[in-house]
Amino acid sequence: MPLRDLYLLSPEISIVGVAFIIIMLDLWIERKGLLPILTIVLLGLPLGFTISLWGTEEQAFDGVLVVDTFSIFFKVLLIGVVTAVVIASQETAARFRRFQGEYYGLLLMATAGLMLMAATRELITIYLSLELSTLSAIALVAFFKDTRSTESGLKYLVLSGVSSAIMLYGMAMVLGVTGTSSLVEIAKAAPVSSLADNPALLLGVVFIVAGFGFKIASFPFQMWVPDVYQGAPTPVTAYLSVASKAAGFAVLLRVFYLAFGDFSSDWSMLFGVLAVISMSLGNFAAIFQTDIKRLLAYSTIAHAGYILIGLAAVASRVPGGEAFGPQGVLFYLTAYAFTNLGAFFVVIAIANKIGSETIDDFAGMSKRSPLLAGLLALCLVSLIGVPPAVGFWAKLYLFNAAVQADMVWLAIAGAINTAISAFYYLRVIKVMYLSPAPTEERVRLTPPIGLAVAMTTTGVLFFGIAPWFLLDFAIRATSGFPG
Amino acid sequence: MHVGTGASIAFWIMAVVAVVSASGVILLKDIFRAALLLVVSFLSIAGIFVTLNADFIAAVQVLIYAGAISILLIFAILLTRDVQEGNPSNRLKIPGMFMGAVLLTALIVVFVNTEWRLSTEAPLDSTTAALADLLFSNKFVLAFEIASVLLLAAMIGAVVLARGEDE
Amino acid sequence: MPVDRLATGCQPLGFWDGMGLWEQWGINFFPRLGDTMCRAMGGATPGGIPDWLIFAILGLAGAFAVVNVAMLGVPYVILLERKLLGRFQHRVGPNRVGFFGLLQPMADGIKLMTKEDITPRVADKLVFSLAPLVFVVPVLLMFAPLPWAPHAVLADLDVGILYIVAVTSAAEIGVFMGGWSSNNKFSLFGAMRVVALVVSYEIPLVLAIVGVVMLTGSLNLAAIVEGQRFVPNLLWQPLGFIVFMIAVSAELNRAPFDLLEADSELVSGFHTEYSGMKWGVIQIGEYAAIIGFSGIIATLFLSGWKGPAPMPGYLWFVLKMGMIISGFIWVRATIPRLRVDQIMNLGWKFLLPLALINIFVTAGEILAYPDGLPVWLIPVNFAFAAIVVAVAARLLGIQGQPRQVVPAPPVFETMASS
Repeated sequence: MPLRDLYLLSPEISIVGVAFIIIMLDLWIERKGLLPILTIVLLGLPLGFTISLWGTEEQAFDGVLVVDTFSIFFKVLLIGVVTAVVIASQETAARFRRFQGEYYGLLLMATAGLMLMAATRELITIYLSLELSTLSAIALVAFFKDTRSTESGLKYLVLSGVSSAIMLYGMAMVLGVTGTSSLVEIAKAAPVSSLADNPALLLGVVFIVAGFGFKIASFPFQMWVPDVYQGAPTPVTAYLSVASKAAGFAVLLRVFYLAFGDFSSDWSMLFGVLAVISMSLGNFAAIFQTDIKRLLAYSTIAHAGYILIGLAAVASRVPGGEAFGPQGVLFYLTAYAFTNLGAFFVVIAIANKIGSETIDDFAGMSKRSPLLAGLLALCLVSLIGVPPAVGFWAKLYLFNAAVQADMVWLAIAGAINTAISAFYYLRVIKVMYLSPAPTEERVRLTPPIGLAVAMTTTGVLFFGIAPWFLLDFAIRATSGFPG
Repeated sequence: MHVGTGASIAFWIMAVVAVVSASGVILLKDIFRAALLLVVSFLSIAGIFVTLNADFIAAVQVLIYAGAISILLIFAILLTRDVQEGNPSNRLKIPGMFMGAVLLTALIVVFVNTEWRLSTEAPLDSTTAALADLLFSNKFVLAFEIASVLLLAAMIGAVVLARGEDE
Repeated sequence: MPVDRLATGCQPLGFWDGMGLWEQWGINFFPRLGDTMCRAMGGATPGGIPDWLIFAILGLAGAFAVVNVAMLGVPYVILLERKLLGRFQHRVGPNRVGFFGLLQPMADGIKLMTKEDITPRVADKLVFSLAPLVFVVPVLLMFAPLPWAPHAVLADLDVGILYIVAVTSAAEIGVFMGGWSSNNKFSLFGAMRVVALVVSYEIPLVLAIVGVVMLTGSLNLAAIVEGQRFVPNLLWQPLGFIVFMIAVSAELNRAPFDLLEADSELVSGFHTEYSGMKWGVIQIGEYAAIIGFSGIIATLFLSGWKGPAPMPGYLWFVLKMGMIISGFIWVRATIPRLRVDQIMNLGWKFLLPLALINIFVTAGEILAYPDGLPVWLIPVNFAFAAIVVAVAARLLGIQGQPRQVVPAPPVFETMASS
């Protein structure tokens, strides 16, 4: 193993190292409030390594680990997300007397797993990275150990186990047909030109999609989302909804473009159907929710559906030119990260003060805290996809990709769903602005969560006004794709 | 690869035992007996590994599954209250069985109709060293290291979740 | 594993040259017979008896022989234990039946077989009856890859030592079955204590083997014996030996780890409800495990069938086994039983770190001297082992006054109190 390989792996090594350091420091540090600050400071290390690798196009470990702009894009995104979540977690984690270090450590280890998912090209390694992130996340989901949190953890554990089993079965079938677990070699070794000619390969691909579908919370593995999101500590919910989805899409893009790129016409239809079902299901179910976390959970299923459009729109790739689909996916994931994290952080800020996550208890929030109400409204508007916010551009790019790929029906389905989703997002805004407040008590923003809210909502607004900064990165990240 | 008669006989015995005991696991009402049948299933799968010349995997299968996982499973059963009542009946039994049957049919159809890539190489005489060489080769060492971090994360998670109620 | 791995099929020409008649036909009776049969059939030619049938017949016959060796050893190990314990306690031990009490085991056996076999009315009868078998079969399986002398192996497995660790771990399922199906709380507590114990001590047990395996570069037991060219592994692996001995004592549920049948607390643990020959079978399992593990210790650390004086290999092997068994009995007569929490602390905080240190140090030594370790490392290793054990023991609080009373974890409290 040459040293160069270790350097290429340095973001992951350093983030796991930071996790160790935080867990060990927890044993000695008396003032636990220092732990998140130290975590954020030390996160500069993996971020620095990641950025220093920007622009390199290299492979390590016999091609298993690939460092390209695509993986760097996701690593920066994931480190950003975990930083924001750490900032926002402070009040939640302060509730424990012990195990605060473990909380941050597990967050970082989950991130390491997700970063590896975005950067590896070999099925076994991908699977292990996925399990690393999932197992850490399970412990985080059940961290409170109260009835709801434990139930969430248990559901997450059992269902992730089932989906992992299905995915492994699929991988085993692909291995049985192609004789290799490396994505590049699978593409070379695939014996047929169409998936329909080889039933095992077809079933294997379907099973793999099902397994990753769990990570991105799309149909048919969406049923865990509402319960788990509701019971988990809210920062962890925010983390799961954004980070695990981003890495899941990264690995889906990588696997399908790289290993099964020749069969794109087969799976693009599969993803199209899954996209429509996911978004319709998520949006319709979200209408009836009374709990804001459950509402955001169903909305996350819907958004997984929108992003799947980008995967389905593989034919939008002009030969030698731009790949609108993957670009749209990357743009959407980043936009969604800012928006959804923002929404969740505002919910944390409000819920920590009023002690409730029911939508009706947000009544009159515009009076009690105009700033928070305004920011939540901004995030919700962005989730709908209305112009001043970044969500608008994200949807525009994706729907455009669908049209370019001659899948107009997907764009239409997306548009109809956007209209449906507007109903329940706007209902929250209506409650906040038009319903009378039960008390006049002000809801104040405390510094750490305020910083997190500021970071994310600034992003929503900034990239909403100047989307080309982000788009430029997304284009560069997918330029060498599939790499 | 030519499969000898003895290996075939062994395979069929193991396969039938594995399937029958696995069905027992889900059909029996007594959880403890179900867990014991799970052990039988694990052991027969280890036997199938032996017929495949995968002796190291077979030993590991017995060590990890029959020796550790199933024991922890039984341990958990013994610590559970009201275990005498057995498995509660399930509303979804019929749909579950139907889905299982559909999946089974699909898998059989797929497996029969697929041209699998069969290895033409002779089975290794000793698999242990070859496995180690592969596992620590440049290609899989990353997966190996991820697995160790994964186990560490699982351990930390378990410690966190096993903390006392008062903290 | 291929057929010839069991050393029962056709051997290559010249395989038997240079072996004495005794080795050819005495120790290697079944391999030799298999070879002869195989040649008589003209190899595995079509029309003759098929290869797999020879394999099956000879395998079964060989298994029968080895199992009987183990089974016949058990009564005399029990007798040895009773005699030695008597001496340790200034008694004589059994001396009435036969010369020096040599027929005592026979008398005990007859007594057991004629005793009434009681099954509790509320027991889960099927599981209750199967439990002794599930307990004893893995122990007997353990004897298959043990090399008694050069080539005298029933199954010359490549993964020999791993196989042994694997099958012995399955014996605990029998303990569980017995404890659960008796429908008796003492049995259940006994069974749960065993599992807590075995799960904890299996880890240092396996890790202690790793050092030996690294020195040899093979999991095959015969290769491990061959690998101990001039000196036994004990000299290179003192730390591993200590850890392995302690872990084996725990795995065997021998004193001082015999809390599963702590008679003052649990009557006699998981086999409280057993009587007659079912109890006898459990007893056979326990003592056969002692014989088997002594064989493994002799193989791993004391160079198996080899010895400094010209004596047949199997005699050396049996001699070493006898020494180790006597050691176990000595320990039983000397050291008082540990408490549950002390046992857990010893396993996790003492043995596990020691085993890991042993692996690191051994790996370092092999890395530094890939062509064979120099002799001066032997005293260094012993000194190092002594220092590490002393330091670890002090950290654990075994030496000197106990610093604090560690409250037992809740799970064990429920186990100990009823």
